[in-house]
Amino acid sequence: MAIFKKKQRVSGEIPTSSMADIAFLLLIFFLVTTVFDEEKGLSIVLPEPQSEIEVSQKNVLHLVVRPDGLVDVKRGESPSIQTAAPSDVETIWRTEYAQNQNLIAAVRTHPDAAYRNMIAVLDQLHKAGADKISLQILE
Amino acid sequence: MIQGGLKKKSKPNSEIPSSSLADMAFLLLIFFMVSTTFPKEQPRRLPFPEAEQTKKVDEPRKNFLHVYLEKDGSVFINDRLVPMEEVSSVVAPLYEETDRKLVISLRADRDVPYRWVDLVQKEFQEARAVRVTFYTNLEQRVTRERR
Repeated sequence: MAIFKKKQRVSGEIPTSSMADIAFLLLIFFLVTTVFDEEKGLSIVLPEPQSEIEVSQKNVLHLVVRPDGLVDVKRGESPSIQTAAPSDVETIWRTEYAQNQNLIAAVRTHPDAAYRNMIAVLDQLHKAGADKISLQILE
Repeated sequence: MIQGGLKKKSKPNSEIPSSSLADMAFLLLIFFMVSTTFPKEQPRRLPFPEAEQTKKVDEPRKNFLHVYLEKDGSVFINDRLVPMEEVSSVVAPLYEETDRKLVISLRADRDVPYRWVDLVQKEFQEARAVRVTFYTNLEQRVTRERR
């Protein structure tokens, strides 16, 4: 017996030392690829079709959004028009609302005005806590 | 050794137990796999308007319909270009499907002329889907004042 034969030992276990690494790799992959798409924005409820309500002119605050982004403010029946920046709409609404609790904001936007100009006005109205808002197009 | 009897030599284990590491990782993995929802449509990257009053809308995701409005007035619903006059006929069946709880998330380009926004709103009204959210990004006060 001069030759020693190497005895080969076969391991009966599945190697589990790298399992955690694999799991973490997958975990990090899913963590990175997950995107939470948030539903956010300015909410509004449109009027039902064919439901026009007659409103007294004195309860309406007309806000006309011009193509250049400025806002023409007309208070109810008074013929005078005040031109204001969208950022002033909040204060205008607050002072008018203090005098008349039934006030409705009628936002009329020029067809060529950019969408963001209307959003700027709507944002200010939301900020001022206005809940009766009407969105129309300027004809 | 002889007088004191046999004292057990305590050998402190110098290794961090890692046998449960895989379990923990798999648990987290399964959690994220289950909670991940893949959007059914390809999100379109448009420059959205900004608003300070941007609020999260508390409504189940399945009730939302994303309507994309691009600068040239083209409307996209579920990755499909929908002609303006057909928007109501596309929205109406979806409105019924969601038990009339449909909320439309109007994702319009901030520079789109308002005429298109008005037309698309009239289409929503025709389909009786009156709950609309104008999708906006939150405007930070600081950035606004700097401008």
